Amino acid sequence: MKVVTKIIFANVFHIILMAAIFFFAHQNLNLVLAKLRFVEIADDLNASFLEIRLAEKNYFFYKDESAILTIEEKLNQNIRAIDSVSGDIVKAIGQKRYKHLRLSLRKYVEVIEETKSSKGRNEELEGRVREAGRELREFSSSVTHLERQEVNGIISRSTNVLFYSFCGILVLAIGLSHLILFNILKSLKKIEKVANSISEGNFYKVEAEVSGDELGSVLEAINSMSQELQNREEIILQSKKLESLGILTAGVAHELGNPLNNISMIAQAYAELYDGLSREDRIDYMEKVGEETERIKEIVKNLLDFAKPKKPNLKEADINKIIRKTLKLVQNMLHVCCIAIKLSLQDGLPKVFIDENNIEEVLVNLITNAVQAMSPKCELSIVTGLSEDNDYVVIEVEDKGKGISPDVLPYIFDPFFSTKGVDGTGLGLSVSYSIIKNHQGKMKVRSEVGVGTTFTIELPILRGKE
Amino acid sequence: MNGHRIMVIDDENIVGKMIKAVLVKDGYIVETFLNAEPALARLQEEKFDLIITDLKMKNIDGMDVLRTVKSQSPEIKVIMITAFASLDAAIEAMRGKVDDFFPKPVKIKDLKKCISRLLGESP
Repeated sequence: MKVVTKIIFANVFHIILMAAIFFFAHQNLNLVLAKLRFVEIADDLNASFLEIRLAEKNYFFYKDESAILTIEEKLNQNIRAIDSVSGDIVKAIGQKRYKHLRLSLRKYVEVIEETKSSKGRNEELEGRVREAGRELREFSSSVTHLERQEVNGIISRSTNVLFYSFCGILVLAIGLSHLILFNILKSLKKIEKVANSISEGNFYKVEAEVSGDELGSVLEAINSMSQELQNREEIILQSKKLESLGILTAGVAHELGNPLNNISMIAQAYAELYDGLSREDRIDYMEKVGEETERIKEIVKNLLDFAKPKKPNLKEADINKIIRKTLKLVQNMLHVCCIAIKLSLQDGLPKVFIDENNIEEVLVNLITNAVQAMSPKCELSIVTGLSEDNDYVVIEVEDKGKGISPDVLPYIFDPFFSTKGVDGTGLGLSVSYSIIKNHQGKMKVRSEVGVGTTFTIELPILRGKE
Repeated sequence: MNGHRIMVIDDENIVGKMIKAVLVKDGYIVETFLNAEPALARLQEEKFDLIITDLKMKNIDGMDVLRTVKSQSPEIKVIMITAFASLDAAIEAMRGKVDDFFPKPVKIKDLKKCISRLLGESP
């Protein structure tokens, strides 16, 4: 079911529930109103019956004959009053009681009429008058009392019903929104997992059944995005390889271009100046040709070395010791360039399995680059520690140099890519990178122009295994 | 023969040496430099007719030399040589009003002809 359908369903359910409660409350209130209306009428009747009883008293005790007329008049008034609101009374006390009330009144009227038409006092008749009056008064009082009780009952019942329905709606509302939210959160968790894995470069796909709601559509979209990214990454990788190959070729061309040009120029000058050259000069020219061919040979050898990385000769070693040893090698360079070293080497780091010479070469490369990037009197910082997951020993080489601009940063590990012009072969960082890769390690760089550059090397801690 | 003063700036020692050896024979006065700073300083002391400079050099490169020279003494001819024989480099050099452009390896005969032409000598 779609989320929007679920929400609409929940809302409709709540509305129906509230309508039912409103209907119930409305019915109860109407009943209470009818009962209260009757109680009002009954109060009037009771007052009138009390007056009738007083008139009876005048008739019996003070022998006031006119009291009979008062009683008759009052009774007729009451009958008229009851008849005029018979509907309300029936609604409040029901047909049966109404008839009983009406009958009691009628009976009383009949007895009074009989008393009025009889000559002189008749004890039996007087007894009936008393009896009818008492009965009417008692019936009316008891009905009024009952109705009051019923009103109280209805009110307290309504209060209870309203309270329990409030609790019910509250529980339902919380329950339903939890149910809807739970599904949304579950799907969001899946989406978060995929997004995180994509950001780490793993084009993972949610294989589990995808729900039919909106979040399911999002998951499907992310799945297809992941697939598309994976396809594109392969294309990008391919074009990056070609790009690297381009840089490599251009680098080789440039590296070889200079000695070739030198040989060419020596040859041309030799031919041009041949007659004027002494024997020594001629030998000198040819020696220069020899030197330049040596230079070419060296470049080709480096290139071959680069293309065929040597398998590292791994031995257990303390990385801090190797850093201190490397610093001795570069001491002179640091001294000449007036660069201070700040060491923060963490004690008690686990041993790493490394080829000491290879790692020294990497460190020399990084320190040389850092020194060349910095002005004199700057500080070079080397920090060692453990990675967050404790699986790697981390070495950071940080300089406060001119930094590397973001547009060339992605290429700095490419062979023959150099930011140092003729001073760099463009092989130092790419060789370092491949050495660290051969150690199953990671090499990263972050840099900001004008602030400095930090190279981070992570070497795996191989616990008990090679 | 002519006594024109020529300056060669190239971080490859042999380039300067060979050009100098050939041009001196033709009567030019040649001074060579391995980088641009001392060369530009020398320009303040001495008047040169022509400068041959490499494009890609440390710190101050050939384009910087070209711009500096042309802004201070536009009459001085500048020939650019480079191992980067790319079209981009040529276009940039032309924009900087270079007088001629030679990709490496440089043909010395062509270079000599170019120098004569730029200095207005009869062939």
